[in-house]
Amino acid sequence: FTTRKLTIYGGLLLGFIMLESPLILVANQVEPMIMGIPFLFVWNLFWWAFLTVLFLVAYLTNWSNRDS
Amino acid sequence: MTGSILIIAAFMIIPLIVGLVSSRQLQDTSEDFFVQGRAMGSVAVFFTVAATWWSAFAFLGSNATFYTSGPVYLTALAWNLLFGFMYYWIGKRVWYLGKRFNYLTPSDLLGDFYNSEALRVLVAVITLVFTVPYLQIQLTGGAYLIEVASGGVVPFWLAALLFYFIIIVYVWVGGIRAIAWTDVIYGALLFFGMMFAGYYISGQVGGPVELFARLSASSPEHLTMPGPNGNMGYGMWFSLFMIVAIGAFMGPQIWLRMYSVKSGRLFNLMPFLLGLAAFAYFGSVLTGYTGVLLEPGLENADQVLPVMLMNYAPYLLASLIMAAGAAAAMSTANSQIHAVSTVVTMDIYQRYVNRNASQSRIVFIGRLSLVGFSLAAYIMALTVPGLLVTIGIAALAGTAQLIVPTIGAITWRRAHPMAAFWGLVAGVSCVLWLTYGADISNPLGLHAGIWGLIINTTLFVVLSLALERRDHDVVERFDQARQDYVAEYHPEQCDGRQTVVGDANQAR
Repeated sequence: FTTRKLTIYGGLLLGFIMLESPLILVANQVEPMIMGIPFLFVWNLFWWAFLTVLFLVAYLTNWSNRDS
Repeated sequence: MTGSILIIAAFMIIPLIVGLVSSRQLQDTSEDFFVQGRAMGSVAVFFTVAATWWSAFAFLGSNATFYTSGPVYLTALAWNLLFGFMYYWIGKRVWYLGKRFNYLTPSDLLGDFYNSEALRVLVAVITLVFTVPYLQIQLTGGAYLIEVASGGVVPFWLAALLFYFIIIVYVWVGGIRAIAWTDVIYGALLFFGMMFAGYYISGQVGGPVELFARLSASSPEHLTMPGPNGNMGYGMWFSLFMIVAIGAFMGPQIWLRMYSVKSGRLFNLMPFLLGLAAFAYFGSVLTGYTGVLLEPGLENADQVLPVMLMNYAPYLLASLIMAAGAAAAMSTANSQIHAVSTVVTMDIYQRYVNRNASQSRIVFIGRLSLVGFSLAAYIMALTVPGLLVTIGIAALAGTAQLIVPTIGAITWRRAHPMAAFWGLVAGVSCVLWLTYGADISNPLGLHAGIWGLIINTTLFVVLSLALERRDHDVVERFDQARQDYVAEYHPEQCDGRQTVVGDANQAR
């Protein structure tokens, strides 16, 4: 476990917990609407964006030479 | 009307041309026909994986679920991310072993690692039995869209027949290369269609913000779990996340798209690309919810998108978006037909009927299987009713069970063949019993597939710990392969162990 690897996998764990653990029930409400979008949808959008950007960071940091 | 017919004709003819052009590169070998000689490039891999995985289930079923059941389908954002992560973490290891030992099917890897003919046959049966119903819903969804888009000029039975005739022709001549090339067109069309349909249709009520404001006033239960019917709560949210991602990932068509990849580095990028593509689901949110306001009470919820398009969009635009929906169905169906023909040819014909078959004979049998399975799915589409999502999830719950022995094979030297076999039998039996036999289908709100995975995993771990493998040569061969994988891709984990490369052909 390198520091970078711990950061990436820790971030993934955090994101999936926020989206799929019973914590989602805390976000399961219409109000407050943010920019006219119900809170449950904003919550999902935020953590989806967080994980997608994290996947990009993972790619850029490879998560000497023969690959193909 | 003429314009719509032209759009549908173009939609049918373009893949044929692409398939015929790609067939010029086809070599008459099983490896080229089934996995493109393990040399598929990055653009083709992304589009063929995405278009194969996004099906009629995604294009029509997502709108229908938002329309009838509230926000539960929003968990699709997470299941796309999980699918992408599995494609990197599991897929790259499967690709590495496939390249090293010349695997073409799920049974090849699992049968080889567990050194068990019974398991090899069981895996082949599971992939075939649970893939055909999923194939059937592609045909049902796609043919229905063509029927509507043509204004009934092309009836359902003829649309379905055309649908399959075209797939068979271009897969017959071009193999997986033709599929990947056509999937680039289909993939682009389906992502455009989902996004634009939502944007355009929600415009009929004043745009997304106005849509949510009106919905929160008139039907707020559509915006939170458990939805208007009260049956789509957290249990189903989590079940869908697990079952759809794992079930689709374990389908034989995705295994072929792991084996076909040219470069291991592409696996590192796919989670980001597949995660990004998930944004298209917001088109489905807007379409399904606008339907709640403008077209409440539809008898068949799968029809919410075509009904809205026909009632509120110009005819040409409606036809184009419905062609995009048919593209979603077709790009999954072509891959599934090709994948089940691979399983029949390699796991049954070559292994048990004619072990010494020539390469051209194997490819010919693969082509005949295309026709056989297409016919079976066509008959099912005409005779077996049901909502796309309901049938789809039951099928995915079956293939999802393969994840347990697969993770065992790529990570755990103690994983035992008896544990893999009985774990699979118990998991699949549980899925079938809870889906078709039990009084209660979703105990504690969790889908049958989740209960199958729990029983499967428990049996797998307990039996593997209790039993000891005696085929040390196989265990050592895979140990060495896993060490070489780590040395190749995670050198910081190495502690100076010896590595060996290039022992292909040892397994088959």
